[in-house]
Amino acid sequence: MSAGADGGIVDGRRCRSCAEVSAFPWPACPACGGAVEPASFGPFGKVWSATVVRIPVPGRTPPYRLAYVDLDDGPRVLAHVQADGAAERVVAASIGSRVRLLPDTDEGDLLVEVVES
Amino acid sequence: MKVAVHGVGTSHFGRQPERDLVSLAWAAVREAFADADVTAVDAVWVGTVFGPAGVAQRVLRAMGITGIPVITVENACASGTTAFAEAHEAVRTGRYGRVLALGLEQMSTAFAGAITPEATDPEGRSGLALPALYAMAAARYLHDGAVTPAQLAAVSVKNHAHALHNPRAQYSGSFTVEAVLGSRMIADPLTLLQCCPTSDGAAAAVLGPARPGAVGVRSVVLRSGAPWNHRSPHVWGHDVVRDTAADAYAAAGIEPADLDVAEVHDAFTIGEIVTTEALGLVGPGEGGKAAESGRTALGGEQPVNPSGGLLSRGHPLGATGLAQLAEIVWQLRGDAGRRQVDGARLGLVETMGGGVSVLDGNACVIAVLEAP
Repeated sequence: MSAGADGGIVDGRRCRSCAEVSAFPWPACPACGGAVEPASFGPFGKVWSATVVRIPVPGRTPPYRLAYVDLDDGPRVLAHVQADGAAERVVAASIGSRVRLLPDTDEGDLLVEVVES
Repeated sequence: MKVAVHGVGTSHFGRQPERDLVSLAWAAVREAFADADVTAVDAVWVGTVFGPAGVAQRVLRAMGITGIPVITVENACASGTTAFAEAHEAVRTGRYGRVLALGLEQMSTAFAGAITPEATDPEGRSGLALPALYAMAAARYLHDGAVTPAQLAAVSVKNHAHALHNPRAQYSGSFTVEAVLGSRMIADPLTLLQCCPTSDGAAAAVLGPARPGAVGVRSVVLRSGAPWNHRSPHVWGHDVVRDTAADAYAAAGIEPADLDVAEVHDAFTIGEIVTTEALGLVGPGEGGKAAESGRTALGGEQPVNPSGGLLSRGHPLGATGLAQLAEIVWQLRGDAGRRQVDGARLGLVETMGGGVSVLDGNACVIAVLEAP
């Protein structure tokens, strides 16, 4: 991910044949195998679904919030959701919330903040 | 050539770190060979996910199955049914006369808790453990009003109650909806009793040409997922099951309503709900209601997961598909004891394995079987 004027930008690809977008620098379109060109997405998007992981996962400290975010005119990406309070009260981001990409986490993961629930 | 399942067998399912894979596989193969009344096969397909290189040959040599073709396959949770699908094709085309399909997995010695996908994908790198992947689908279903928390819990209640009659199951119990919803939260909204346990086990089937007294294979179809993304109309894992099922029903010449019993991929409660809808056993948004009303319970119109399913029998990944197959074979032969579905003539096995980012499942296998 790179930095944009309003927040983070995901550097991905768009298919020249079927217009499928992807958040990965893959050499061909995952939907049709067509040729792809560089495309940038973000920083804004909408939460498709969200959860809170409350179990230990190697290298992670629970609880932490994750969401699948549909970037505006872009692909669906998995992102951490910025913490919004004490760990004992953490809840999942509301589905449909508007979110904005922030700089990547220290672990290199996408991170979003909720800008409008 | 028409193909039949000549015999099936399984180990016990559960946390069995003190047993090795040979011991687990031997229990399954010995029973399947005895059931099929054979002492040898012409080839073996083995499904396993986390086994080290050579695990199939290492296990098989210990039971004297050497000097014949051994092929190992991996398709995540659908590895066992992938082995079955390939073994079936080998018999159907005449490549081999009699084939063993074996699934095995020892999870308890490899994982302290939930599995996470491969770390080179965002899902694995970001800590989206498998329960959290399914939690995303459950949260979306709740948001859309397609299921209620009580209906999610009803799947767990049902399948744990089914397993009360399955002595091979990892655990069972007469849980209430309140107890399921009150168990520890794993990944919102899925609680502990809505998640399959960490399991060790093996399961096996001997396939050969159709013969009297053997359960026949009407169809078996394998498909890997297409991209799942912002354009997908359904939650993750729905469309690959729907499309695989359409092919399996067409090849078998049946409709979903013709099925008497099904073993489906309920690694998490939402999984059974989405799958029963994708299979067409119930209408869209009706999966939760079907569990709550008893429609998919033993004694109901179309029982689903009479064995207890992955939730209760257990889920040793590579073994699961063949454990499902064994249950359907027993059901269609009338050998399922106190969990017998009366008069079952047509049964279905469905397994769906996932974890690869962007794809709607790594693989789905669906088989339709008929009573002798």
